[in-house]
Amino acid sequence: MNGDRLTPVQLARQAERGRRFRQPAPYLRLACLVLAALVPLVVPSFQVLDLAAKIAIFAALVASYDVVLGYTGIVSFGHAMFFGFGAYAVALSLGKFGAPTYAHLAAGFLAGVALSATIAVLIGAFSLRVKAIFFAMITLAFAEFALILAVQLTHITGGEDGLSPKLPGIFAVSYEGGRLLGIPVTGRLVTYYFILAICLALFLVMARFIHSPLGRTLQAIRDNELRAEALGFRTFVFQIASSSFGSVVATVLGGCYVMWVRYANPESVLGIHVMLDLLLMVIIGGIGTLYGGIIGATFLLTAQTLLPHLRTVAASVFAGSMIMQRMTERWLLYFGILFILMVFFFPKGVIGTVRDALARRAPSPVSSPPHPASPLRGEEKR
Amino acid sequence: MRRAAPILATAALFLLPLAFMDARTYVTLTVAGLAMGMLIFLVAAGLTLIFGLMDVLNFAHGALFSWGAYVGFSVALLLNQRWGWAAAPSVPLNVLLLAASILAAMVVAVGLGILLERVIVRPVYGRHMFQILITLGATIVIEELIRMIWGPNDQVMPVPLTFQGSWDVADVIVLRFPVVAIVLGVLVYLGITLLLTRTRVGLIVRAGVENGEMIQVLGHNIYRYFTRVFAAGSALAALGGVMWAMFSQSVRPAMGGEQLIFAFIVVIIGGLGSVTGSLLGALIVGLSYNYVAFLVPKAAIGINMAIMVLILLLRPTGLFGAGK
Amino acid sequence: MPPEPPPAAPALLEVEDLHTYIGQHHILQGVSLRARRDAVTVILGRNGAGKTTTMRTIVGLLRPRAGAIRFEGRPIHGLPPYEIVRLGIGFVPEGQGIFATLTVDENLRVAMLDENPESRDRLPRIFALFPALERFRQARAGTLSGGQKQMLSIARAFVNPNRLLLIDEPSKGLAPIIVEHLVAALQEMKSQVTVLLVEQNFAMASALGDDFYLLDDGRTVHHGRMVDLVHDHALKKRYLGV
Repeated sequence: MNGDRLTPVQLARQAERGRRFRQPAPYLRLACLVLAALVPLVVPSFQVLDLAAKIAIFAALVASYDVVLGYTGIVSFGHAMFFGFGAYAVALSLGKFGAPTYAHLAAGFLAGVALSATIAVLIGAFSLRVKAIFFAMITLAFAEFALILAVQLTHITGGEDGLSPKLPGIFAVSYEGGRLLGIPVTGRLVTYYFILAICLALFLVMARFIHSPLGRTLQAIRDNELRAEALGFRTFVFQIASSSFGSVVATVLGGCYVMWVRYANPESVLGIHVMLDLLLMVIIGGIGTLYGGIIGATFLLTAQTLLPHLRTVAASVFAGSMIMQRMTERWLLYFGILFILMVFFFPKGVIGTVRDALARRAPSPVSSPPHPASPLRGEEKR
Repeated sequence: MRRAAPILATAALFLLPLAFMDARTYVTLTVAGLAMGMLIFLVAAGLTLIFGLMDVLNFAHGALFSWGAYVGFSVALLLNQRWGWAAAPSVPLNVLLLAASILAAMVVAVGLGILLERVIVRPVYGRHMFQILITLGATIVIEELIRMIWGPNDQVMPVPLTFQGSWDVADVIVLRFPVVAIVLGVLVYLGITLLLTRTRVGLIVRAGVENGEMIQVLGHNIYRYFTRVFAAGSALAALGGVMWAMFSQSVRPAMGGEQLIFAFIVVIIGGLGSVTGSLLGALIVGLSYNYVAFLVPKAAIGINMAIMVLILLLRPTGLFGAGK
Repeated sequence: MPPEPPPAAPALLEVEDLHTYIGQHHILQGVSLRARRDAVTVILGRNGAGKTTTMRTIVGLLRPRAGAIRFEGRPIHGLPPYEIVRLGIGFVPEGQGIFATLTVDENLRVAMLDENPESRDRLPRIFALFPALERFRQARAGTLSGGQKQMLSIARAFVNPNRLLLIDEPSKGLAPIIVEHLVAALQEMKSQVTVLLVEQNFAMASALGDDFYLLDDGRTVHHGRMVDLVHDHALKKRYLGV
């Protein structure tokens, strides 16, 4: 094909492809993947495997949130709700219709995706049509509503106790598949690699999405909504498409989460804490970076695993002081302060800040980075 | 008149439940609904004014509500433990306790609000996404501070004797505290309206809600008004917090977050930036919740969402929205 | 072509080599002008030449990246808008900027600054200029006609004893007969105040203007006496297309 016949999107993609292997980022991502794949082979501890699986799921979940927040520029408080839809759909499908089979599993994922897509489009149509700021308020209200529903519809959702589904076939706890490379192949192990594969696939799909013409239009809207509108884009249609896409990805991950922990209750998959964790992870990793989720999820989940130990230490050190004990118990307080400081001083998170620092040190021969400097600077106009 | 139409339609709608219940139940539910609406209004009024004037969606508004409730709780507890002002069968002492709790809560909230506006909100004016994230971060911190200072568990709010129990009006049982809440809500609404329509500050604020840039080129330092409105909104949230604590006879660190969601629904129904819209929206939410909870208990949680969605479909800028 | 040095007559407002950005766009790339005391200075230019941006920069709504603005010899660039206008500048923005939900009276009152007690005494003069405003004093400003809204906007800038009025495109969207009324009212105001006017309607600009400045692509490209421009058909054609 003749070079100057390429569309701008193709040109940009070509430029990116050209420098792809000269940058450290792809190798780092590959290293993350290899590391995650090696975990069960190297460390036999279940706690570590559990942490690795959750990091993989949340890294992809944060990336899907970033598609909405960082690449589309709209704030959603319903992302955890869509995650919960996936979790409940899979848990219900496996637990409520007799002995679990692969068909049940697939049906659960499909039902969750269908439900999420419908709700996401509806919420988007109600709110984004009026004003992007409504989206934040309405998703928050819907998330609260979903949480109340999950608690109150005891006969379906199991209420506060939640659901504990069993998995079919090779995913079942009881599955024994002999030994491979000296490692016993268990249901856990199979599930782990299955989830890792899904997370990888979702990352690839999301990367493709943001580099597609649609993704680029979204970034144009984010950076200057008025101009995009003047160019003839019905901006809210694009915003609905993207928020629905992100929500569907979150739903799939919710299903994966249930496959891993074999448990879904309102607090763990729908609660406000899931949403807060997500926000912290995306801010720490970097808004508008997609892969920042890997860093955010690793940091926060590792910290949350270690903190209870820290607390027992602190409890013995500050045994005499009530307020000191409380101060060590309220670690969310410090995360909140960290959150504010990050938003103020490092709005691009770890990845964005490092990327900027690298770019300053060694000016790239190809100008214009693939990601506009800061999605937060995008001027919003009503 | 256009402004009267939503009010009349709403009034007509709320006579409808009379067809399904006897008058006594209706009065009881109406009083409860109006009280609930008035308390939500206290939160929503600040939220809507702050949004209207400053174009800031303050997610930390709920946390200020919680702070107000807890400060009021501490004061009420102290006064009751020292001098037994809540338990005393004395109307003046009871009223004094309520007033002291409210005053203390408002003073603390104003301080907190000014701090919040100056440190957290001011650097991010004009950037919605930043505002939402930063005020959410502030919410986490403020709420966690409550858990640190007062502990993470629910506590029982002392309610003055005068406001406990009920009055028996012509065979209809009317709870006392809801009536107090309604009276207070009406007074606050009248106060805000008078302030907005009869004073120079109110005139400038109303003009600023419509066009903040123009207010600046007419020689008014809009940031001074931002701080004042933010402080006033914080005080209203704290007032709502104390009243809600007495209404529900308990305080919880997360109470503000739940009220905030109600307030969002109310503000969307009433129209962003309109105080009258907020009042109407709050009454609609409070009343319909109570009627539906009595008639179809399972549907009560969904009714407010349904109303909000309906309003968004029919009139996207809300009942009194300026179409901003 | 570089702008010629401005005339040495005493100027109320001096703008020197102004550079303003909106977002990442370099809109003003060297605007210079002087508004003589007691004269009407008109800024002319095509759409997008930077006329409105110049006005908004003078009044402080946009912060210049480089250049200087002096009012009565005092530098005012970098001051917030509410301090700039309190020095004695009235601003009539493009699209009037009136408060539609407020009454006409409230629109005027919100513009009266507390330290100018004589503002109230100016009201009769304003109502003499714009009788319609007195008639609809208690009506909501949003219900006024386009011409009345424009009059209200001008009246609002005139309610304080300002020494300079910045008026941005007052004739925009108005019927010719209304424009004539407006020209008559502004003619009368000329004797009391210095005016800097942005105007696309050349008939109105030439009827009112004493001096003109021509902007193109964010730069001052020409200036002089209005009477000279009226006869300079080549220049008019080149920059204004008339």
